[in-house]
Amino acid sequence: MGLLNPQNFIYGLSLALLVLIYLRSRSRPTIQVSSVMLFDQAPAPVTSVRQMRTDALFWLEMATLAALTLAIAGLYVMRPRVAGQGRSHALVFDLGAGMSAREGSGTRLDQARREAMEIVGQAPVGDEFSVIGYALEAQVRHPQTANLADLRKALGDLVPMAVPARAAALRAALIRARGASEIDLFADRPPPAAIVADAASTARMNFHLVGSSDSNLAIVSLDPGIPGSTPGRALIRNFSARPQLCELAIDLGDREEFHQTHMLAPREQAVVAFGPIRSAGVLHARILTPDAIEADNDRYAYAPSDRPARALVLSPDAAVRDDIARVLLAVNANFQIETADPAKYLAQAKASGPNARPLELAVMHDCYVPAAGAASTLLIYPPQLAKNLPYAAAIGISVRGTLAGADIGSYEMGEAPPLESLALGATRIVAIPEWMDLIATAAGPGHPSIPLAAIGRAAGGPVGVLAFDVRGHLLLAPDHLDALVLTVDLIKQLTAPRDILIVPTGADVSITATATARVTRPDASIRIVAADKWGRVRIRPLQAGRYVVESGGETTQVFANYYDAAESDLGAKSQAEETTPAEKSAAVSNAQSAGEVQPLVFILIALALLALTIESALLIGHAGGWGMRHV
Amino acid sequence: MLAARAFEPEFLRKLDRLALGIKRARTVRAGQRTLGRIQGLGIEPENFKAYAPGDDLRFLDWNTLARLDELMLRTYRADRQVEVTALVDASASMGLPERDDKLGFALAIGASLAYIGMAENDAVRIGAFSMQRGAMKLEATPFHRRRESYLNFRPFVMSVKAGGETRLGAAVDQLLLQRRPAGIVVVISDFLVSESDVEDALKRLVKARHEVKVVHVMGDQESTASYPSGLFRVRDAETGEVRETVLGPKTAAANRRKVEKIAARVREICTTHAITYAQAFGASNLESFMERELPRLGIVQ
Repeated sequence: MGLLNPQNFIYGLSLALLVLIYLRSRSRPTIQVSSVMLFDQAPAPVTSVRQMRTDALFWLEMATLAALTLAIAGLYVMRPRVAGQGRSHALVFDLGAGMSAREGSGTRLDQARREAMEIVGQAPVGDEFSVIGYALEAQVRHPQTANLADLRKALGDLVPMAVPARAAALRAALIRARGASEIDLFADRPPPAAIVADAASTARMNFHLVGSSDSNLAIVSLDPGIPGSTPGRALIRNFSARPQLCELAIDLGDREEFHQTHMLAPREQAVVAFGPIRSAGVLHARILTPDAIEADNDRYAYAPSDRPARALVLSPDAAVRDDIARVLLAVNANFQIETADPAKYLAQAKASGPNARPLELAVMHDCYVPAAGAASTLLIYPPQLAKNLPYAAAIGISVRGTLAGADIGSYEMGEAPPLESLALGATRIVAIPEWMDLIATAAGPGHPSIPLAAIGRAAGGPVGVLAFDVRGHLLLAPDHLDALVLTVDLIKQLTAPRDILIVPTGADVSITATATARVTRPDASIRIVAADKWGRVRIRPLQAGRYVVESGGETTQVFANYYDAAESDLGAKSQAEETTPAEKSAAVSNAQSAGEVQPLVFILIALALLALTIESALLIGHAGGWGMRHV
Repeated sequence: MLAARAFEPEFLRKLDRLALGIKRARTVRAGQRTLGRIQGLGIEPENFKAYAPGDDLRFLDWNTLARLDELMLRTYRADRQVEVTALVDASASMGLPERDDKLGFALAIGASLAYIGMAENDAVRIGAFSMQRGAMKLEATPFHRRRESYLNFRPFVMSVKAGGETRLGAAVDQLLLQRRPAGIVVVISDFLVSESDVEDALKRLVKARHEVKVVHVMGDQESTASYPSGLFRVRDAETGEVRETVLGPKTAAANRRKVEKIAARVREICTTHAITYAQAFGASNLESFMERELPRLGIVQ
């Protein structure tokens, strides 16, 4: 016995209302008469001396309201399942990285799969099942079917992803499971109660907790340092409640740069210094000690080349040129930076002659000089050009106005956390081309969302746009650290090698390609992807490791890193961990052997009607006793 | 308000032929009691008589002297001095039930009697009484004798509002304190007070040598007890006393019995003290009451 919608017990307040009505029963309609002496011989009701009339009518009305309240609250009883009713089930699986944790002979997902197979095996003939998976988003892996072979195949095809399972995805998965009469959720940690309550309002919800606490090690971050000069650092973390040995190896290309074993205290996070490494390249850190989750045992970083690179900073403001030059040196100490006033730049460029080395990066603040001709371009606070002087097609942007102030609305890029709202100064209203990826938006007066930062890879090279002005030492102001983070991220992406991308798992990656691209995943599976009309292919790495994208004779390597503190923390003291194994198994077995929900709504409504009928009969009797024809 | 009916010309025309039925002799201005018609100052010629020394020469009939050379005096019928007071109960009980307009009915009867009284140039006034803030408030118009001044009653009649308790005895006390000559007092009330108060008040009026007439008014709804059915609280308009009751056919029957009992008791008191009693139940019966019931009882002729 239970209640499907306990919150509807609020209707039980009607019982209190009834009591109040009866308490007020003495205040009957009052008639003012010329004299009560005319009513000396009139019969008085027997209730006149009582504060509350708890007679049969009262109890019948109480019973009516109580029955209706219980009906609205969804009172039900469990009854044994009746075979062959053709009910529908939804099997919902958490496919986050936590489900890939190895326990014994298999992973947590294997355990969930086995339990699901048991449910399917015990189900009466005619029952239908659907398979839904969720991690970053929800996906129906197999629609409702009574074909057990198809179902088993769909269950077997489930693979955990190297991404965290999001609550929003779980909600979406349960919404997609709404047509089912019974939902079986398999996850390695308890879902939020509110989400489960929503789903339980329409179907019976069985939660199957899989896995138990296990030790896990993870590489939190990897800083390659500067080849030949600055040591690199790796941050490793022990999520176990016990001390753990952590054997860490760091490779640069095929050559091992570092190999050491550390003893990590329970739940310790340690910084391991290494190097400096000898040359530039892709650095690969690995934890060799066997642990639960493999995805967070590998991490890639790109060590930039130590060769000098030319960078040009153009701005009409000398203070801005100085600030940007400082930021560029912080990003890459090997930059050889030239600064100039855009009005005088062309003359200076002619004077330096045609033999100068090509520019790696041109940063243009509040100006646009197409003749700069750099490999990548960053436009900061781009000016609004006259109609006959548009931005070059390789840049593709257009400026439609200026706002006196704006707030950063949303910003999600790379591994940086989302920024909080930040007030900026003057900001251009920039329209970006479709081949550019929007990184951050801002909101200003009359403009709820305008592009604030964007990056794209055009045929002429990467182009980045920052719409806000950086005058007044904005980039160096401690109160505007988020603006600096946004700028540094953009510069890093612009100066990163074109054929090597380091991204977090789950991020959308855009790669320049010809008609089609051949994508090789970390598990060696291959997929052919068609390029869009801007000559790009988009992939979303859901496995940690190296993706290879080959197109038109060019090869791009995408290294996907996975780390999520919550998902990787298998030893976290969650609600599920606090329940004893006995309780857990009882919950699971209860979910498996539980009978069918039998709502009592019709019985309760019938009882309410019966009570009302009896009350009506009593009232008619009373009316007859008082000599009235009607009540 | 029903009281306005008493000033409608059509209604008044029906009253033109009526006169107050007065059992006792009228008094002269000096208050001397005589039988039959009396001589005195007046405007209506009564007779001629031979002059006697000392007679007022103002009444000498100069035409007779010129024609017959005899000194003759004209005598006139003295102005009658019967004072008629229509005393209307204006207590709160007269205002209920509202749809009965019992007070308007009572005021209409009082005004009609005043109009009839003016037929013979009797001094007539209308008074209304009720308890206000614990004290008896008896308001009355000045005496008017001629029908031309009948409309002077209208502002007073239309301004009377029901309110306060009924204290018949206190009202009579206040009336007697005015020390007016004994005349006719018509008491118009619903008599929803204690029997002792009714009897005491009427007895004192009689003792003060007033000719007392009683008009017992009740509304249609009140006398037939046609209230809605169900459980109700009834509140006394005058005392505020609340009583819970079940209204229905049985209650209605009990109410009617009670009304009849009250009427019978007031009639008995009137009979005991030789007071004319008239029952006016139902405001819809105003015209038939004035034209048939009052003449039948001798209150008007």
